[in-house]
Amino acid sequence: MQNTTNKEREELLNEANSARWELGLDFHDTVIESIYSNASQIARKTVTQKGEKEAYSADLKIDKIVTSRWLGFPLMFLMLATVFWLTVAGANYPSGLLASLLVDYMHPILKSAAASINMPWWLDGVLIDGAYLSMAWVIAVMLPPMAIFFPLFTLLEDLGYLPRVAFNMDNLFRKAGAHGKQALSMSMGFGCNAAGVIATRVIDSPRERLVAIITNNFSLCNGRWPTQILIASIFIGGLVPAQLAGVVSAGAVVGIAVFGIFLSLVVSWGLSKSVLRGEASAFSLELPPYRPPRIWQTLYTSLIDRTIFVLWRAIIFAIPAGIVIWLVANIHIGELSLAEHFIQWSDPFAIIFGLNGVILLAYIIAIPANEIVIPTILMLTVLSTKLTGGAGDGVMFELDSVGDTANILHAGGWTLLTAVNLMLFSLLHNPCSTTIYTIFKETKSWKWTLVSTFLPIVMGLVICFFTTQIWMLFVVG
Amino acid sequence: MNILSILQIQPGTMILSGILIIGILFWIFWPEKGLIALLSKVNMNNQRVHLEDALKYLFDCEYRNSTCDMNGIAGNLNITGDQASKLLERLLSMGLIAINHQSITLTDTGRSYSLRVIRVHRIWERYLADETSVSQADWHNHADKIEHQVTPEDTEKLAAQMGHPVFDPHGDPIPTAEGNLPNHKGKSLSQLKEGNIGRIIHIEDEPRNIYEQLVVLGLYPGMQVYVTDVNEKKITFAADGDECTLTPLFAAHITVELLSGKVPLTQKYELLSELAVGEKAKVAAISPNCRGQQRRRLMDLGIVPGSLISPEIRSASGDPVGYRVMGTTIGIRQKEAELIFIDRPKETSTKQ
Repeated sequence: MQNTTNKEREELLNEANSARWELGLDFHDTVIESIYSNASQIARKTVTQKGEKEAYSADLKIDKIVTSRWLGFPLMFLMLATVFWLTVAGANYPSGLLASLLVDYMHPILKSAAASINMPWWLDGVLIDGAYLSMAWVIAVMLPPMAIFFPLFTLLEDLGYLPRVAFNMDNLFRKAGAHGKQALSMSMGFGCNAAGVIATRVIDSPRERLVAIITNNFSLCNGRWPTQILIASIFIGGLVPAQLAGVVSAGAVVGIAVFGIFLSLVVSWGLSKSVLRGEASAFSLELPPYRPPRIWQTLYTSLIDRTIFVLWRAIIFAIPAGIVIWLVANIHIGELSLAEHFIQWSDPFAIIFGLNGVILLAYIIAIPANEIVIPTILMLTVLSTKLTGGAGDGVMFELDSVGDTANILHAGGWTLLTAVNLMLFSLLHNPCSTTIYTIFKETKSWKWTLVSTFLPIVMGLVICFFTTQIWMLFVVG
Repeated sequence: MNILSILQIQPGTMILSGILIIGILFWIFWPEKGLIALLSKVNMNNQRVHLEDALKYLFDCEYRNSTCDMNGIAGNLNITGDQASKLLERLLSMGLIAINHQSITLTDTGRSYSLRVIRVHRIWERYLADETSVSQADWHNHADKIEHQVTPEDTEKLAAQMGHPVFDPHGDPIPTAEGNLPNHKGKSLSQLKEGNIGRIIHIEDEPRNIYEQLVVLGLYPGMQVYVTDVNEKKITFAADGDECTLTPLFAAHITVELLSGKVPLTQKYELLSELAVGEKAKVAAISPNCRGQQRRRLMDLGIVPGSLISPEIRSASGDPVGYRVMGTTIGIRQKEAELIFIDRPKETSTKQ
């Protein structure tokens, strides 16, 4: 019985196969065509149109403006610049508030609570100075910008403007062998690279999607803007008269961001000429009609889907990293702590790249979030130079005044060259652990995760190296 | 030596050595031409590859009813006659072939082995054509490498993912997993007479330089050919309305299926990319050169023969153009718009 059915099945399959050979190449098309003609027949019988033309012609008028040769790009830059400005400026106050609540207010309370129950100093250090503080920093500096950026971005998306950005930018990306929608994931990357990597889901061809994922890190994310702004205003703004300082340092930060865009195009081009070879493939992009954004829904989805989601991932990574940060500063081998050993050991190498051991160590242990790089650098600088001030070994801190921060950094031996290299390295280093994890989730491939992690580091080191050596040759030499 | 002595090196020397190191790394890692790629290529040329390629070639001869000898194998595999005879000895001892006087035939085991290799090859060609953006001239070569490396299971998974395709992108049938293949059909284009109408069903992808030229001419499976003139030196035909002339040597690489009762296309289709903003036209067809995902996506968006289409907005950078079709606006790049054929409506009335 079993045998005969098996045989029958075999025969049936063979027959089906030969039938498909007979049908030839364009059988699929014929099916789709007949479905469409059927559907349009039904629609003609049953659907009547009324007054749709009017609404649509208004759309067309808007489209003619936002995609026009002269106004298209300026409008786009204006729109995106407004979003970033609102994010950076708007996040300042709530960030400060959160920091004073979680760091300045809660941290001492927890400390004294720990003291009152006679917690051993090391446990108290690991849990409160390490894990809690790192989590608190991440929440304080990450939450407000994200809670502003994501809803704004989602509003633009909902409005229907973002597809027009992709439409306008496509030519540039096509020449780099990438997909026009990479413009979207790139803009999203300016908010958060992890979200940018997720946003590449809109790209349907796998090759272009990988290109977009690997290059997303070149978008300067929210976590890195404050670092750039701080360093630029201390070292670059300090070069010019006070009234020009703001403009010049803002210009330097924008310059770094634009350099990032340039690199992401160059790297896209390089990837599609080498490891991800191929011509620019299918591009068809629907330009949906404009519609009033659904504000509440937007707020809800962007807060839940993006902000909380990303923040949660960041917190999960921040806690163990906080413990590591505290431990390397407090475990001593001989006279020195682990951190100091590493800093002294790596200083000679770091100097070739115009950086220093503190910066290298900070970028290694502050991998969960770019936001905690500056607090970590400050803590490590104080630790390694034996300065007074700071909040204690392994306790990250930030200072209210830019001047005090500058003093610590100058004491750590920072020069203008160090600052320039830090700004470059902040743009070009491994993505944060949240992003790396997201890349792995999205690509399901160790290989591409490693490429996206190490490619920017290598590029960063190479660029810092040449910057430093050329600087030495012409400026110092 | 002290580590710190690194710091005493002059910046100029540093820059030069930096450039040198980067250069060397590039030379090692550069895909296809770099050291690692070259080494892996040397490794590739092992026995399994030769064995499988020889079987494939023998099967091809059999399928086309031509005889095959040792020189043919040596030529096809690009190896010396000496190597070829050793290879044949091996195949003989493995029981994959039988030799009668000069002619070599496959045994049943040999045939099923070669069909398996061919199946893998053609499925991968289909995959490369439909799902990746590997250029047309490279499909065959890529698949030639991949076929010796992948496991049958991986290939079956791939085939299932693509909905079990039955033709490769050159128009050749893909053998079933059980090893069935339909009979060879169609005629060589060089055998067609004046006035014949047919459809291209296969373009031979070897040797590569001939195939590349046929690709450059824009010929592909699915095109309608209408032979207008045949003489000893050349054959002239209209391929989808576009006049084309080939020497018989080139024409022999194209297989055609004769069609009867069709009206020949004498006029070239106009392309969607030729429409100016504001003009209207009807989609006539999508070029068979637009495949896989790309084709499905265009059809999903409503670009099917018969639908009205009109360019509406041009992007700020000029290239993608927004087309209005079936009540939505869709941005399409120029390169894709060149793959969509249109019929301009007869100019009866001016704009409303």
